[in-house]
Amino acid sequence: MIPEITLTAWQILLVKIGVILAIVPTMTLVAGYAEHKVMAHLQHRLGPMYPGGFHGWAVLLADGLKFLYKEDIIPERADRRVFSLATFAIFVPAVMVYLVIPVDRSLIVEDLDVGIFYLLAISSVSTIGILMAGWSSANKYALIGALRAGAQLIAYELPIVLSAAVVVMLSGSLSLVDIVEAQNWPFLIWPPGIGLIAFLVFTMASVAELTRPPFDMPVAESEIITGAFTEYSGMRFIFSFFFPEVANLVAFAAIGATLFLGGYQPIVPLGVLEVIPGFVWFTLKTAFMVFLFLWIRPTFPRLREDQLQKFAWKVLIPVTLALILVAGAWVLYAPEALR
Amino acid sequence: MAIDQQRVGDRTPVHDPAEIAKIVSGANLETEQMVLNVGPQHPATHGVFRLLATIDGEVLVDAQPIIGYMHRGYEKLVEARDYRQITNLVSRMDWLSGINNELPLHLCLEKLMEIEVPERAQYMRVVMLEMNRILNHLMFFASFGAELGAITPTFFAFREREDIQLALEMATGGRMHFGFFRPGGIREDVPRGFFAQALKGVRQVMARLDQYEDLLVGNEIFKQRTIDVGVLDKEIAYNYGVSGPIARGSGIDFDVRKDEPYLVYDRFDFEVQSAPNGDCFDRFWVLVREVVESAKIVEQAIEAMPSGPIMGKVPRVIQAPAGEVYVRTENPLGELGFYLISDGDRRPYRLKIRTPSYNNVSVLPHVLKGQMVADMIAILGSFFFVLGDIDR
Amino acid sequence: MPVIERGDVGHVRERLDSDFGTRLKDLRINHGHLDVIVQPHDLVELVTFLRDAPGLRFRFFTFLSGVDRSAFGPEDAEDKPHPLEVLIHLYSPDHVLHVTIHVPVDPADPVCPSINRVFAGALWHERETHEMFGIDFDGHPNLSNLYLPEDFEGRPLLKSFKLPSRMVKDWPGAKDPEEAAAGGR
Repeated sequence: MIPEITLTAWQILLVKIGVILAIVPTMTLVAGYAEHKVMAHLQHRLGPMYPGGFHGWAVLLADGLKFLYKEDIIPERADRRVFSLATFAIFVPAVMVYLVIPVDRSLIVEDLDVGIFYLLAISSVSTIGILMAGWSSANKYALIGALRAGAQLIAYELPIVLSAAVVVMLSGSLSLVDIVEAQNWPFLIWPPGIGLIAFLVFTMASVAELTRPPFDMPVAESEIITGAFTEYSGMRFIFSFFFPEVANLVAFAAIGATLFLGGYQPIVPLGVLEVIPGFVWFTLKTAFMVFLFLWIRPTFPRLREDQLQKFAWKVLIPVTLALILVAGAWVLYAPEALR
Repeated sequence: MAIDQQRVGDRTPVHDPAEIAKIVSGANLETEQMVLNVGPQHPATHGVFRLLATIDGEVLVDAQPIIGYMHRGYEKLVEARDYRQITNLVSRMDWLSGINNELPLHLCLEKLMEIEVPERAQYMRVVMLEMNRILNHLMFFASFGAELGAITPTFFAFREREDIQLALEMATGGRMHFGFFRPGGIREDVPRGFFAQALKGVRQVMARLDQYEDLLVGNEIFKQRTIDVGVLDKEIAYNYGVSGPIARGSGIDFDVRKDEPYLVYDRFDFEVQSAPNGDCFDRFWVLVREVVESAKIVEQAIEAMPSGPIMGKVPRVIQAPAGEVYVRTENPLGELGFYLISDGDRRPYRLKIRTPSYNNVSVLPHVLKGQMVADMIAILGSFFFVLGDIDR
Repeated sequence: MPVIERGDVGHVRERLDSDFGTRLKDLRINHGHLDVIVQPHDLVELVTFLRDAPGLRFRFFTFLSGVDRSAFGPEDAEDKPHPLEVLIHLYSPDHVLHVTIHVPVDPADPVCPSINRVFAGALWHERETHEMFGIDFDGHPNLSNLYLPEDFEGRPLLKSFKLPSRMVKDWPGAKDPEEAAAGGR
C-alpha cells in the first residue's frame, strides 16, 4: 500500500518544476551524446571514446565543465542588458516546451486544453531571443545570422502549424492527450492516408525550425560563424546555443512522436503490446525521431537562403494548405471513418 | 558521370546590383549598404585572407581581396641562401603540396647546369608528385564540402589520404614538407614496401572515389548550390593568367604535363580533364576527376619503374652557371613557375616565383560581384587556394 | 598564314622582327623561350600585338615582375647589364610558345606604362612590383601596398636593401661545406 500523500497546489508546482529541471538537462545530455555517436558512426569514425571510460559517455559533462571555466566575454559595444537577457529568452522556452508533452496517459506535467497551441506558441518565442542576441552583439555576422534566423523561423513556423492543424481537425481537440487518444488507427503514421505527407512536411519544417543542416544558414559555421551567437562565449554560449538546440531537438522529436506516431500508444493496437508501459513506447518513438533528425545532418550540404525561402513558400505551405482542405472535407462528409 | 555540354533552364539569376536598386526604389524601400569584413580570421578563407565585401542585404555589391598577412618574402630570402637550403624553403609556399613546389627549382638547376637525371629518379619523382597531387585534391574535396555544410566528405577524404600519406612518409620521413628532391635526382632510394603501400593507397582512392563523388556531385542540394554559381569566363581566365583546375573548369584544357611534358610525363597515358561551364560545379568536378588521372599515372609509373641509380653526376657544390631560365610545372593548383636568374654564384641572383594561387585569386573581384553571401563562400571554396601560395 | 608548329619560337622571332623590327633589341632564344627587350614607350603596343596577332595569340598572362641587376656579375666587369628592368612573361596556349619581355627602366626615375588594360591580371603584379622595386606604373588605378604594411620603408627586392640578419652576419657563415672541409671536419 502506498501511503496517500496530500500536497498543496504549491508543493505540486514545486515538484513539477523539479521534475522538469531534472529531466530536460538529462534528455539534452543523452541526445547530445547520441548526436556525437550517430554522426561519428555515419562518418566511419568512433567519436568520443575516452571521457568517462565507457565509449566516452561523459564527453558532454567534460565539455560543459570546460565551458564553465571559460571567460565570459561581452563585447565592449554590445548592449549589455539585451545581450544577457537574450540567453534567457532562448533558454526558458526551450524548457517550457516540455510542460505539455504527454509521456504516458497520466504522465504529463500539465494537460492543457490548448496544449498544441501552447506548444507551437512557446517554441517560437526563442526567435525573439535570437533576434535580441544578434542585434545586441554589435557584430555584423551576428546581425545577418539573426535576420536569417528570423526570416527562416517565420517561414517554417507556418508549415508546422498547418500540418499540426490537420491533426487537430481530425482528432477534434487541442489537448495533446486527446490527440494521442484519437490515434487508434492501426497504422504507424496518423492521420490515415494524408498522415505520411503531413508527417514529412512536419519533419522537414522541424529541421528548418531547429536550424539544423541542410537548413542551418542562420548558424552556418563556414559562412557566418554560428550567426547570432558569434560573440557568445563560455557558459553563455552553452545556454543560448548548444543547450536550447539539443533541447529543442528532443522537444520536436517528442512533438512529432505525439502528433503523428501515436505518442504513448503501442505502434499497433494489439493486446500483447499493451503490456509494455506507455512511456517506453513514447521514448522509443521519440528516439526514432531524434535519430531521423541526426541522420539528416551528416547527409546533406547546406541550402542557400533564397532557396530555403522558396522551398517553404512554394512547396511546403501550399502542400499543407491542400492537406487542410482534404482534412476539412473529411471531417465534414465522412467523420465516422475516423473512429 | 558525364558532364552536360550546355545546361539550359533553371539558371540561377546573377543578382545585378542595378536591378536590385530598381526593385528597391520601386517599392520605396531604402536599404543601406554594409561593409563586411570577411577575414582575416574566417573559417571559409583557409588562413589569413581578408575579403572586404560591400553587401546590400544578402547580395555582394563589391568584393576586394586583401592579401599579405602571410607574406614571408621568399623572393628575398632565397637570394641569401644556397640552393640546397632553398629546397626546404620553397616547399613551404603551398603547404598542401610541398613536393610539387620543390620540383621547378631543381628543373631550373638541371637545365642551367645541364645535369642528366637518371630514369629511376625521374619515375620516382613522378610517383611522388602525383601522390602529392592526390593528397592536395582530396584536401580540397574535403574542404569544399565542409564549406557547403556537408561535413561527412571531410572524414571520408581524410581516411583515403592516410594510406597515401603513409607511403610518402615511408620514403621521405615527412608528412607535409618532404624535402626529398635534390638537383640531379632524389635524396635516397625508397624503402622496401613503398611501392606496395603506394599502390594500395591509390587503388583504394580509385575504387572509392565514385562513391564519394555521388555523395557530393550527385546530391541535388549540392547541384543547386554550385551550378551556374560564380561563372568564370574563359577569356577572363586567360587574361588574369588563371591556371590549374580552375582554368580547366572554364573550358581551358591546358595542362603543362601534356603541353610541355617535363620529367617523363610524355610516357604515361592520362587525360586532361576539363569542363565547359566555368561555374563552381565544373571546377569541383574537374578537381575530382583529376584525382583519378593522377592515380592512373602513379600506377603506370610504378609498373614501369626502372632500376638504376637515383642521382645523376652532380658537382659537390651546386653552383649554377650564369644564365636565365623559366621553368613551369603543373602544380596541383595550377602553373607554378620559377624564373631563375643566376650570376654563377651558389645563390640565385634573382628567383621570381610565379605561384598559381596568386593569379587565380586576383580574378576573384570579377567573379564575386553580384553574388549572394552564401555563394561567396561556395566561390571562395571552389577557387582552391592556399594562403602561403598567394603571399609567398 | 603559314601553319605554325607547336613551340616554334623561331616563327615568333621572325614575326616580331618584321613587324617591330628596329624597335626591339636583342631577340634571343633562351632555353626555348623568346627573350625580347623593349623600351617602355613601346611596351603596351607590343603586348597588345602579342596578345591579338593571329598566329601568335599570347593571351595567357603568366607574370610581371622586376629585376635589379645592379649587383650582377663581378664588379669590374666590362659589359654591365641595364641596372633595373621590368620582366613580363606571356604564354600562348594555342601554339605553346613563350615570350619573356624585358623592359629596361631608368633606375633614377623608374616609370613603366601599366599593361592592365591589356592584361587585367597584371594589376596585382604591378602593385607587387611597385612596392618591391619602387617602379611606378603609369596608368595603374591603385598602387597601394599589396603585401607590406603601409608604413614600411624601403624597397625589399632591390639589391641595396639588405636582410637585417645578413647585415649582422654575412653569408656564407662558417657552416659552409667548403670551409668545414678545409678545417678537416
